Amino acid sequence: MTRRSETLRGKSGRKFNRRDFLKMSGAGLAGAAVLGATGCGGGGGGSGELIFSMGPDDAQGTMATLIKRFNDQNKGFKVTHRVMPADTGQYFDKLRTEFQAQSSDIDVIGGDVIWPAQLAANGWIADLTDKFPKSEQGKFLEAPLASVTYQGKVYGVPWYTDAGMLYHRKDLLEKSGFSEPPKTWAELKEMANKVVQDQGVKYGFVFQGDQYEGGVCNGLEYIWTHGGDVLDPNDPNKVIIDSPEAAAGLATEASMISSGAAPQAVSTYQESQTDPAFMNGTSVFARNWPYMYALAGTSDYPKVKPDQVGMGPLPVDDGNELASCLGGWDMLINANSDMQDEAWEFIKFMTAPEQMKFRAVKATVLPTRTALLSDPDIKKLPPVAQGSPAIRHTHARPVSPYYSDMSLEMQDQFNASLKGDVSPEKAVKTLQSNLERIIQQGS
Amino acid sequence: MASATTTTTTKGATGRSSRNLVLFYIFLVLFVLVSLFPLLWVFRMSITTKSDLLASPLVTLTAPPTSTSYNTVFGNPDFIKALRNSVIVAGTTTVICLFFGAICAYAIARLRFRFKSSIMTLILAISFFPAVAIIAPLFIQFTAVGIINTYWAMIIPDTVFALPLTIWILVAFFKELPRDLEEAAKVDGATTLQAFRKVIVPLAAPGVFTTAILTFIFAWNEFLFANTFIFDAAHYPVTVVIPNFATVYTIDYGSQAAGAVVVTIPLVILVLIFQRRIVSGLTAGAVKG
Amino acid sequence: MTSSDRESVSRVKSEEKKRRGGWFRQEFGNPERRMAYYMVLPALIIIVAIAFFPIAYSVLLSVTDSTITGFGSFVGLENYIEMFKNPDFLDGLKNTLIFTVASVTLEFIIGLGIALAINRAFRGRGLVRAAVLVPWAFPTVISAVMWRLMFQDQIGIIDEAAKAIGLISNPILSSNTLMLIGATLVDVWKTTPFMALLLLAGLQTIPGEVYEAARVDGANVTQRFFRITLPLLKSTILVAVLFRTLDAYRVYDLFWVMSGQQLESLSTFVFKSVRISQLLFPQGNAAAVFIFVTAFLIALIFIKVFGMQTGTEE
Repeated sequence: MTRRSETLRGKSGRKFNRRDFLKMSGAGLAGAAVLGATGCGGGGGGSGELIFSMGPDDAQGTMATLIKRFNDQNKGFKVTHRVMPADTGQYFDKLRTEFQAQSSDIDVIGGDVIWPAQLAANGWIADLTDKFPKSEQGKFLEAPLASVTYQGKVYGVPWYTDAGMLYHRKDLLEKSGFSEPPKTWAELKEMANKVVQDQGVKYGFVFQGDQYEGGVCNGLEYIWTHGGDVLDPNDPNKVIIDSPEAAAGLATEASMISSGAAPQAVSTYQESQTDPAFMNGTSVFARNWPYMYALAGTSDYPKVKPDQVGMGPLPVDDGNELASCLGGWDMLINANSDMQDEAWEFIKFMTAPEQMKFRAVKATVLPTRTALLSDPDIKKLPPVAQGSPAIRHTHARPVSPYYSDMSLEMQDQFNASLKGDVSPEKAVKTLQSNLERIIQQGS
Repeated sequence: MASATTTTTTKGATGRSSRNLVLFYIFLVLFVLVSLFPLLWVFRMSITTKSDLLASPLVTLTAPPTSTSYNTVFGNPDFIKALRNSVIVAGTTTVICLFFGAICAYAIARLRFRFKSSIMTLILAISFFPAVAIIAPLFIQFTAVGIINTYWAMIIPDTVFALPLTIWILVAFFKELPRDLEEAAKVDGATTLQAFRKVIVPLAAPGVFTTAILTFIFAWNEFLFANTFIFDAAHYPVTVVIPNFATVYTIDYGSQAAGAVVVTIPLVILVLIFQRRIVSGLTAGAVKG
Repeated sequence: MTSSDRESVSRVKSEEKKRRGGWFRQEFGNPERRMAYYMVLPALIIIVAIAFFPIAYSVLLSVTDSTITGFGSFVGLENYIEMFKNPDFLDGLKNTLIFTVASVTLEFIIGLGIALAINRAFRGRGLVRAAVLVPWAFPTVISAVMWRLMFQDQIGIIDEAAKAIGLISNPILSSNTLMLIGATLVDVWKTTPFMALLLLAGLQTIPGEVYEAARVDGANVTQRFFRITLPLLKSTILVAVLFRTLDAYRVYDLFWVMSGQQLESLSTFVFKSVRISQLLFPQGNAAAVFIFVTAFLIALIFIKVFGMQTGTEE
């Protein structure tokens, strides 16, 4: 021990002073800074790289293929796909955060059809009215085009469209003596229960009842097919959801569970739970987007073959018009991107008929160009051949700069009513006052 | 000590004691099984094909093993990047915490000064701090400073929340070191800092090492800050990436399971090797003897 | 806190009393003390700047009608009043309280039982210790993902098993009550080992002679437990329970990920308000302040009412 302290003294007899200390902490900070500097070099941007944000690719990888094709054309810049969360709510949350932090280096945004109003109201996405003239706009389906229009200006190009559809198992229906899918919700319940009884299938009907954006789509479809709506079509500031029609819609949705047609678990289902329930042959009917058709007979779901799957528009309440929730994605440009022209170049490529057709055929992702729906290769795809009435009767969710808040309320009430925690009448009453409050607060 | 007392009391009742011993071991095995079951199950899920996984739990249990999910996970550049990011963030946090924490803890454990207990209470108050309470102001500040969406946006808050833990444990370790060593060093003319560097640091190395492990685990597991301040896949740590394994409409359960296994393995190894140290570190602050 | 520590505390205190007035010069005139401040300061600055300054800012935001991008004007306590009328907040408060009390109680009871059971020498002790540390070391959010997989309808083994033995009729994830129970059990699974190890370490500091003496005096097992073990373990118990309580009280990632963002806690309410909603931002800040203040009160209760020592005095 003594020897040790001797060496100490031998080495330096100097008192510790402030400079020593600063040197010491300075070294620590510098070390940390070096680590940080080497680490932070990830986020691209700048010239030569165009950042395209979008959720994960489809199971067939069509997005990656197309981006590669574009990059192979050597336009002087490269497109990088920045993968965002698959859940549209989480994706939007991230995106908005990025804009709020004013540090977005995204150039092109693949955006859900419910976003343009919210993004445009904040001035975050570029007005494309000049680049995207009326003559060109006319070639697109009406409902998706409306989703990129906000206060008379066009903020994006519709990329692909989605519509809620009713899937059915042709073979099972036939066996129980039904020649065609149900036209009304009452028929659906009846048929589902009969097939379940006859053939011992586990579930009659599955859909997305979870508390999330998809649950809003499902809930709204029931409301629309009963003649109800959320906002007055002639006055977007007037909430009209507290109506007998809307309540009847939610009551029908809840009756899917109470009648035994749907399992209790649908109140927790999103698309990813709907797929296995239908594609493993566990359910007779399913409500889902067109993409699910492409899963039939793949290695993930070998049990149900494509020819056993039928699809068509959703049932309605007797005497009402068809209605499907408009889903799908648009291509938008960050207002602050310094690659506006390059961004437009990429959007033009991705939304050109050839690319739309590629994705439609490969991954049953539906095109937004009206003409493509009659293209012979696309026309024969079951989602188009059998589902075109649904595509032609899509309804948009409320267009509002405060849609996120409205959606949170609807998710909450629709799910509670489905589970039976609140009555449909109570749910629409609560929604009426909460949505009114949001619109009032927002204006 | 405990075993000695047991021997004296159970003398002459060997039958009962051996039965007790069997019961005791059954209890232990059950306890370990319950602790590890979820991990074993997730491992089972990670080596099951997607179609078997989606069929039913029973099918999952008996399905033939496959490495598909691991191929997916390791073929995913975002996951590899996330592993690297987690190492960078947790590593830097550990280094910074140890540096400032050791200096601060030494002063608290060894030097006399006013306000010591107020300072320690202040530091402790951080461990009571609900992190979620400050994400909004931090978001605004980080944006203003321009470090939002960088490693620093994770390292800085991680450091703040790990520092109290670091200081708390190090104070306990430093206090246990024999005082006469440094006194002797000081008598021999060494300054406070020299005493710290030449005497305390080598002696405290095991304690510092333990603290490093604990701090690393803490930062490795952090989710809230990463999920709030980072919005670019290039900077995501694993805790943010794994819950998001998915293709456009479908969650990839197999990959989630495989990712969970991959992320856990380093922790399990750390824990297996250093279990004694970790326990002593965890209990250092709480138990005074 | 050892007795020598206490002596030095009183010694330092009395010395300080003598020299009251001009303490600044006292403190900074003395090289060792000055050194001590230099050594403590960096850590302190980091903590104050990153944690305390933001909470002050939160307080400020909570009495204005700000948004995340723009500072608003003063509105008094309106946000707090609105917050207490918000059913989501009340739901979060209720869930958080139930979760905290239930999980900490269970963890304490089971943890103490385990600590008592393994407080002896036996073969495979290291293995047991490692096995129980694994859940603790596991990232909370990953364990939430993992348990969610097991709770899922169709593919989840626990959901399936619970249905098979008739424990539940509805899927776990369809009911907030079941999810809250699930979250509590996951927390118990994850942190009971931690609790057990802390208590075990405390138990091992109790000298064997104390028990021996009690046994000679004719005390039975129950008496020995209540008269010796518990009182001598008190400070360890308080530290462990306080840490766990405050940890459980701010639960976020477990609820958020395991329930698919459905189960509300105080922290998830704050997160939803400041990150997802465009209109609830001020209410979210009010809730943040609420969490901070109540957490502080909980800590204070432990320290003042139960006489917990923070172990800071020298």
